[in-house]
Amino acid sequence: MTDEPLLKVENLQTQFFTEEGTVRAVDGISFEVNEGEIVGLVGESGAGKSVATSSIMRLVETPGQIVGGTVTYKGTKIVDIEEGPDGQPRPSEEMLTDEEMREQIRGNEIAIIFQDPMEALNPVFKVGAQLREFIELNRDVGSAEAREIAVDMLREVGIPEPVKRYDSYPHQFSGGMRQRVLIAMALACEPSLIIADEPTTALDVTVEGQIIDLVHDLEAKYDTSFVWVTHDLGVVAEICDRVNVMYLGEIIESADVDDLFHDTKHPYTEALLQSIPRPDQTVEELEPIVGVMPEAINPPSGCRFHTRCPDARTVCREFHPTEQDVSEAVTATHRVACVKYESIGYEDARPLETEATDDFGSGLIDASGEDA
Amino acid sequence: MSNATYETDTDPDTDGPAAVESRVGWRYTISQVKRDPTAVAGLVIVAFMTTVANIAFVDDVLFGFLGQYAFFANRGIEQFVLAETFWVNPEVDPGTNQILRPPVFMTNELYPEQPGTMAHPLGTDHRGRDVLVRLFYGTRIAITVGIVSTGIALVVGTVVGAVAGYYGGWVDDALMRASETLYAIPFLVLVIAFMTAFGRDLTFAMVGVGIATIPSFARLIRSRVLSVREEDYVEAARSAGVRDRNVIFRHVVPNSFAPVLVQATLQVGVNILIIAGLSFLGYGAQPPTASWGQMLNNSKEYMLPNPWFSIWPGIAILVTVVGFNLIGDGLRDALDPRINN
Amino acid sequence: MGRLRYTTVRLLQAIPVLLGVVTITFFLTDAIPGDPVQIMLGPSPSAQQADAIRAKFGLDQPLYVRYVNYLADVVRLDLGESIYYGVPVTQKIMERLPVTLFLLLSSFTFALCTAVPLGILSAKRRNEPTDHVSRIVALFGVSTPSFWIGLMLIIVFSFKLGWLPATNIVLPWADPASLDAVDPDASWLVARWQVVATSAKHLVLPMITLGTLQMAAFTRIERSSMLEVLGEEYVKLARAYGVSEFTIVRKHAFRNAQLPLLTLVGLQLTSALGGAVLTETVFSINGMGRLIITAINNQDFPLVMGTTLVFGLVFVIGVIITDLSYALVDPRVSFEGSE
Repeated sequence: MTDEPLLKVENLQTQFFTEEGTVRAVDGISFEVNEGEIVGLVGESGAGKSVATSSIMRLVETPGQIVGGTVTYKGTKIVDIEEGPDGQPRPSEEMLTDEEMREQIRGNEIAIIFQDPMEALNPVFKVGAQLREFIELNRDVGSAEAREIAVDMLREVGIPEPVKRYDSYPHQFSGGMRQRVLIAMALACEPSLIIADEPTTALDVTVEGQIIDLVHDLEAKYDTSFVWVTHDLGVVAEICDRVNVMYLGEIIESADVDDLFHDTKHPYTEALLQSIPRPDQTVEELEPIVGVMPEAINPPSGCRFHTRCPDARTVCREFHPTEQDVSEAVTATHRVACVKYESIGYEDARPLETEATDDFGSGLIDASGEDA
Repeated sequence: MSNATYETDTDPDTDGPAAVESRVGWRYTISQVKRDPTAVAGLVIVAFMTTVANIAFVDDVLFGFLGQYAFFANRGIEQFVLAETFWVNPEVDPGTNQILRPPVFMTNELYPEQPGTMAHPLGTDHRGRDVLVRLFYGTRIAITVGIVSTGIALVVGTVVGAVAGYYGGWVDDALMRASETLYAIPFLVLVIAFMTAFGRDLTFAMVGVGIATIPSFARLIRSRVLSVREEDYVEAARSAGVRDRNVIFRHVVPNSFAPVLVQATLQVGVNILIIAGLSFLGYGAQPPTASWGQMLNNSKEYMLPNPWFSIWPGIAILVTVVGFNLIGDGLRDALDPRINN
Repeated sequence: MGRLRYTTVRLLQAIPVLLGVVTITFFLTDAIPGDPVQIMLGPSPSAQQADAIRAKFGLDQPLYVRYVNYLADVVRLDLGESIYYGVPVTQKIMERLPVTLFLLLSSFTFALCTAVPLGILSAKRRNEPTDHVSRIVALFGVSTPSFWIGLMLIIVFSFKLGWLPATNIVLPWADPASLDAVDPDASWLVARWQVVATSAKHLVLPMITLGTLQMAAFTRIERSSMLEVLGEEYVKLARAYGVSEFTIVRKHAFRNAQLPLLTLVGLQLTSALGGAVLTETVFSINGMGRLIITAINNQDFPLVMGTTLVFGLVFVIGVIITDLSYALVDPRVSFEGSE
């Protein structure tokens, strides 16, 4: 294997041009996926995770537009936006055309599993026919062979009586079963990378467990890489090798899964971890994250998390942190974007009065706490 | 109707979330509609037509009524005084040599050498009356019939639909079967039979069309009620001992108001078309009252000598109905976020 | 289980509707003032003649007896005898119904064949010039009185250009001997061709007149349902698996997008039947629409009842066909369920 990662996302930017203004849904994210790896993309709703995945597949719909960055897949530039002579972003010459993207990448190289299995299957076609169509389209096989592959795949993902179920309609399947069908669909096209966009969010907890076990087994068997999008750190702990935490369109911490859980650097990741029950730690009480995520249309100045950060200081309001390498081991990379890890005077700055610092911090701030 | 439902907002004790929501939604809707250029165009058309209709009403009906009394007649107030002052009297026959004249600058088969004049910019009809003036007075009829017939259908349909949806069971079955039955007879035929039985004039056209279109409102309200009925606040109001009638009209109906408003606006346009069709067949405004459908009915005998006579009333109907449809579409887009741009 | 039983159940459900149609029409017609006997026999018939006629048509009996008798007759498929025409109502209807059905089906075909592509194009090119044009056409279509469109078409295509006839409809299976346009010496095949050609010429203007409103209504719903379906997750999934936009529209979105249209087609039957009355009047077509107006104007009680019942029947059958095709398109609608 070469050192070149399977998927390399660099400074990807996607914006939505709405009547209210420009929404910077994905604002310069970079991450990599190596072969055989499951990479998590974690964040609250609205963090831009789904936009990031549809940007990779070039499936962003108007008024959304990819305005910058590069996505390299197996050495091919599937997204490569450069600035044109008029200052407007435009695709570079190396970037695949829509036609090439559709024929060479979607389905056969990168497949996707959507969040809501109830909506993702076409209600008027038989499940088997939908599977067969995508297999025929993405693998060089005939109709009969595609059917065989489909039935095998249904069996593989644990659908009982696959021959019979091949001729069923989606409404005759439960949510968990439909998600299995969608997983079968993704695997049957034999892609090297599967993007799973919150594939278990819409499912019951018990079914979620089954699906995760299934993916674990199949990932090992087919050696497929995954980008696993979720808001659930519990799922991340179970399944991912590496994790990228997103907040308001940016990746604020990325690390190996163990590092992220045991050597947490970013206060947001910390807050996320404290809001979920963990088998490895006993806590008196779970602490929900204070406040709601601001809207991406008008993000806070400086560090975007400062409005909700328990550790926020005045400098956080002015300075926008960039990703710093904080890894201790040579083999692993641990990057974090937080003012704390940049030498620009965090220690000397006064704590900031925010929703999150209110409870215990208010006494420390002097009454005249004005802006510096 | 709208006042009745929104008055509930002022009483905090009976103020359901339904009322609050629809009120907030209402303001939002207006702001959305204002930003939609096509809806604004619709509003302009309808406002213009309504103004024309009001002037026509004053000149024809109000002055006609007042002119019967010497006190007003002596002061120059009589029927069509406005029309006579600014243009020509719509009912006066200015002489047979003036019949079926083409519009200004145009000629027709009757007057191949002699184009129309500014005296009759749209030409004259088969009795020599000015087409523009008759179109002007026809506006009153069109706007009135459209709104009144829709109002009848709206009020009765809301009650029928709300009762059917709220009580369910055999009440629902019976009312829905009845509305299906009304649906199974073509509107036009139903209304013609109704008018033949009770009277051929405009009043019965409005009532007939109103009755025939009850089902469209009843069905809409019923489906809304069926979904709203299960909401928590309705459940809460019922368990708090609020009487059924109050639950329906203070909580359930206001919540269904938005789609009904859209339907009503569109229905005004449809009803104007239906009643024009009735007048075209000779059921509706009786001569000498001018209505667009009746003008078209008169014109169809003279399409060869003066085709213009057939063109104008149709355009008037078209523009008016387009106005209502634009408003209705604008409202629907504003109310249904899925279709929003 | 199965289609047959579903159809039977739906037909049985239609009975109360038809009963309602008969009841409404019966009492409405009875309320029409005036004496049909006078219309038949002139202003001053002799008392004997009048009584004879009254007895013949059962007009001497009380209302409820006549109602029950009429229902019994309808069940026996006996619609009585037309007072005005003096022939059995069924005979008159059989004479006129094919013309109206021919017109109706042609206009719906015309409407669907134009509306579906137009609506899809509009949805695919949303907010582009194509979409604006198609939306304006549809808006004007639903806002224009159909009979006026008829008058305009006659002025332009019959009077000014002289291309198409302005009156009547000829059925394509009509007897060649009955038409002037057919050369009497022509061979069977040529004669047949001439009949069909004449029929087509006569059909164009009334078809457009009656079909425009449906076309516009269908275009609007096709556009909005296509837009909605194109935003569905399964369309996004197909796109994510490399399916081309053309195939997505043709296959993945098409069937789903037709569901609201199907419902509307059934419902539009009522307005189309009403529109047929106007269209037949404009083009002087001897169809059901003008028949019912003649019947009402002449207080031809049995004929009014018969024609309305047939209109109701056409509507009910239309709705059942719609429901059946709905169930064929959407597997979620089972034939066993009541709704």
